[in-house]
Amino acid sequence: MHAVITLLKPRIWPLKNRGVPKNLHGRAAKLILLGTVGVVFWGGIFAISWRVLDYFKGIEDIGDILGFKLLSMILIISFALLIFSSILTSLSKLYLSRDLFLVHSMPVASYKIFLARWIDSTIDSSWMVIIFTLPVFIAFGIIFQTGGFFYANMLVTLVSLAINASAISTLLVMIAVIVIPATRMKSIFIFMGILFFVVMYLAIRLLRPELLVDPEVFDTVLVYITSLQTPSSPFLPSTWAYDSIRATLTGSMSGGIFHNALSWSFAGTIVFIMIKVADTVYFKGFSKTQTSGARVFKKGNTADRIFNFLPGPIKSFTVKEIKAFLRDQTQWSQLFLIAALVVIYVYNFKVLPLEKSPIKTIYLQNLFSFLNMGLALFVLTAVTARFAYPAVSQERNAFWLVKTAPISLKTFLWVKFFIYYFPLLILTEILIVATNILLQVTPFMMALSTITVFFLVPGIVSIGIGLGAAYPDFKAENPNQTVTSFGGLVFMIVCAGYIGLVILIEAGPVYNLFMADIRGKALSLATWAWIIGAFAVAFVFSLLAIALPMYFGEKRLAKLLF
Amino acid sequence: MIQLENITKKYANFVAVDRLNLSVDKGEIFGFIGPNGAGKTTTMKMLGGVLEPTSGAVTIAGVNMQEQPEVAKRKIGFIPDRPYLYEKLTGMEFLKFTADLYGVGQNGFHKKAAKHLEMFSLADWSEELIESYSHGMKQRLIMAAALLHDPEVIIVDEPMVGLDPAAIIMVKALFKQLAQKGAAIFMSTHTLKVAEDTCDRIGIINKGKLIASGTTSDLQREANVSSADLEQVFLNLTNSTSLE
Repeated sequence: MHAVITLLKPRIWPLKNRGVPKNLHGRAAKLILLGTVGVVFWGGIFAISWRVLDYFKGIEDIGDILGFKLLSMILIISFALLIFSSILTSLSKLYLSRDLFLVHSMPVASYKIFLARWIDSTIDSSWMVIIFTLPVFIAFGIIFQTGGFFYANMLVTLVSLAINASAISTLLVMIAVIVIPATRMKSIFIFMGILFFVVMYLAIRLLRPELLVDPEVFDTVLVYITSLQTPSSPFLPSTWAYDSIRATLTGSMSGGIFHNALSWSFAGTIVFIMIKVADTVYFKGFSKTQTSGARVFKKGNTADRIFNFLPGPIKSFTVKEIKAFLRDQTQWSQLFLIAALVVIYVYNFKVLPLEKSPIKTIYLQNLFSFLNMGLALFVLTAVTARFAYPAVSQERNAFWLVKTAPISLKTFLWVKFFIYYFPLLILTEILIVATNILLQVTPFMMALSTITVFFLVPGIVSIGIGLGAAYPDFKAENPNQTVTSFGGLVFMIVCAGYIGLVILIEAGPVYNLFMADIRGKALSLATWAWIIGAFAVAFVFSLLAIALPMYFGEKRLAKLLF
Repeated sequence: MIQLENITKKYANFVAVDRLNLSVDKGEIFGFIGPNGAGKTTTMKMLGGVLEPTSGAVTIAGVNMQEQPEVAKRKIGFIPDRPYLYEKLTGMEFLKFTADLYGVGQNGFHKKAAKHLEMFSLADWSEELIESYSHGMKQRLIMAAALLHDPEVIIVDEPMVGLDPAAIIMVKALFKQLAQKGAAIFMSTHTLKVAEDTCDRIGIINKGKLIASGTTSDLQREANVSSADLEQVFLNLTNSTSLE
């Protein structure tokens, strides 16, 4: 165990090495901003959970059942998130980290290296899920008026859930690395992507959330209640966690302990099996991954030919950017994640029981379409954060090439912009058009949302590239994670503000236009002037959103000492 | 001290190292040279136990690397060409980390660490974060760490890269001194002058195979080169051409 602890020290010691930063005020401001956003987010989750549970509690007969159904959903989703997060983290920590070469040359058994890495990976992949589900469980505790035992038991249960998810994922990763030929690391990522897709699909199908709001599909109330009470699979670790938390919510301490013990006994068993497997195959897998990946597209001249019309330096950066992106194995899993996200997003619109609503359907459909614009743009923001924001930091140590190349920083940034702009525009338009078709919106709403999105996408991509250039991190172990830094937070806030502002400016005029269309009435001249003015303001905002962040990023990047 | 028996490493269909047989005795400095992509680094990785051979055996001081990797690694001081160091640790912390893993006792550690830091001119930097070190300082730190547990075998890949002339002279002298004390040193280098000055024997690897091995004069005979120029020997044996 001594070796395992020693191997974890490079992770622990840097915490005390931070010392007094040079820019104390800047750091304090960042901490305050990050802390405030974290607390607001955490508090928001708590407030919403408390409000929903309080409402459920007030419903006679089935209030508790609804609450428990919600609990079950949260635990299944948390488990799915933990599984996916652990797959990516363990793959990186066990096989791709840059310090593995050093660690494996040390006189330590490979299973001990594995164990230290696994502990590190489990903490990294689960802390955020646990921290941000805590307010939900605390709300449960308050609404169900439980004692201190509930909170203690809940914490212990969540830890066992995280360990179970991490051990299952790590076992899968180890098997995948061994089974799939070593020269095909990309295949492993594709395998993981498909696996995540299946897990998410199963999790959502197990829940069937649309039925919760649509009791009419059931013949009787009794069938509805029975459906709500249907337990999840007894073989899922999230079910044991659910049974334990539910037992303590209803005051059954022994039930809570029993199901918790069940979860921990599985954790103990699977960790034991995992270490045994690691002892046999981990080093073999690590040794295999040191071979370079086989290229899927061996003749990579297509990009060269396509961009032949561009001037030399611009063409070279464009081609390099595209090739580097396609050959970066870590991007592949993210592409699958996005595909899964799009399918789930569109699927949610398909199952919306709009016709059951007491509000007039055509009104509701178009209201949803309008709100959907904002929602799709938030999805775009998340995707931009993952791909466009880290684009400058991705240059890493090779940034000196940019600095010394016969190309201005401005051009360099605009190359980055266009690389990400076109795919992201297509993605967002697909989201908007597909969901609008499912919602059967009016042609006016279809035109409005596609045009609005067309003008907002370049703004968001520009904020991503611009702020990514303003706050680059060329030394990041994984540049994709730079979005969790201060600059990434600023990007999120600016994007949210920009989207919210444009939606707000357009809301009034769109409502007037839409209602006039439905009622077949003409609009007054003053209303037309207001509508045109509002759209013009939104347009100007969009132009500013494109120009200003790129300018800001360029200026900051130029001042950077590299 | 170092024994390679029929070592082969295949990457899919590509044979990086092909049935390599080699031995390095106690107190000997063995230079390992070859063109780019010849299989030097793959061989070094297998020697260091960070890469599993497809077939064959690596024996370090009588211990089989595949059968007892921890015991074998404990006897090695491994110095890679592009060292990864934990940037957020101080130099002293990195040495402590290495010492703990190699079982250097708590009592002896501070004295040894201070001595090694002094020897590699890093004493004034011991409490600074590694991220503030220059490339050469990082290289010196990894050497200090690798020698901390008095290894019987030293495996070093491109030892002089990034070092200033004074440090190069010091490292050359240090290796000779360590060899005199009984250490076996396996050194891969592209700098033929370093190999010529430091090594007792030199092995030339090309396309995964050991094509020649011996003292500088043995190699000259084999390459039909009369002058004492290792560069010409290298070019003749590897069928390479110089740019001139």
